[in-house]
Amino acid sequence: MENTPQPTVESLETKPMKITITLPTNAYFISGIRDFTLGLIKNMTEFSEQWAFRFQSVVDELCNNAIEHGSMPGQEIKITFINVPHESIEIIVEDTGTGKVKFSAAELQKLVNERRNPNYVHTGIRGRGLSKIVAEWTDELEFKDIQGSGMQVRIKKFLQDPKLKEMSNFLESPTHLVLQ
Amino acid sequence: MTQATITIEDIPASLQGTVAKLVKFVGQLDESNVDEKAKTIYALIEQNPKNLLLLFDFEGLEYMNSKSIGYLTDWYGKLTEGGGKIVIAKAKSNILDILQVVGLTQLINCYPTADEAKFALLQPTATN
Repeated sequence: MENTPQPTVESLETKPMKITITLPTNAYFISGIRDFTLGLIKNMTEFSEQWAFRFQSVVDELCNNAIEHGSMPGQEIKITFINVPHESIEIIVEDTGTGKVKFSAAELQKLVNERRNPNYVHTGIRGRGLSKIVAEWTDELEFKDIQGSGMQVRIKKFLQDPKLKEMSNFLESPTHLVLQ
Repeated sequence: MTQATITIEDIPASLQGTVAKLVKFVGQLDESNVDEKAKTIYALIEQNPKNLLLLFDFEGLEYMNSKSIGYLTDWYGKLTEGGGKIVIAKAKSNILDILQVVGLTQLINCYPTADEAKFALLQPTATN
């Protein structure tokens, strides 16, 4: 084993890190995933503590949604974390499509879009998780049907706000005059 | 089931015709326990349908999910309908953050100390 190349600090710092966890469909296990998310974001990424707590909520809401709508009791949900150093964190939650109230990706996307409308009034106990928490605290939110199976919900948050990048490109653009 | 406790104490010196209570939340409110825990508050509202003033002490509350925020909104609606009021005290920064993102801080006032919250709670309003 002497010749096995060992990861250097530099490669660990630049290489994407992927962790996948499979859980039984039971809300009992979700507090453990929340703790794991908080520790992971705080200790293994460059996001602040505030964002660690925010991702804790995002993961909780995605998992609860997958348990309620995606996978029936006795089955599983899969959670994948992909951290790209200096760039982003991506979280993917997959269900088996056997939940009691099944939604297609298009239906769920439509529902979230409706509820994100500033004029939409939330009246019930439910319905704020995806539209008010997950959508607000992420840069990308995507629903995808998995062929012959359930749904994949993918979120991504960049370390740098992508809108700031667009703005800085705009400011540097030679075709625009920037008034100081 | 995740650990969470709700304890209720009387707040003396209430305004005439009102009932004021200090409600302390400790632990985490999530999908595994929130439906069960919410019953405590609904029972309190049922016993005092008019002019109920609630001070929610969130000092020991570590986590709340979207459903618990939904319940909070529902309690706010029921209380204000009956001339009552809710205020929140001593919420941790992650709790304030989530209340803010769902827009609840526009409905329910949050205070850094119990004294400030109590003062605001016991201020007479047009309805009591």
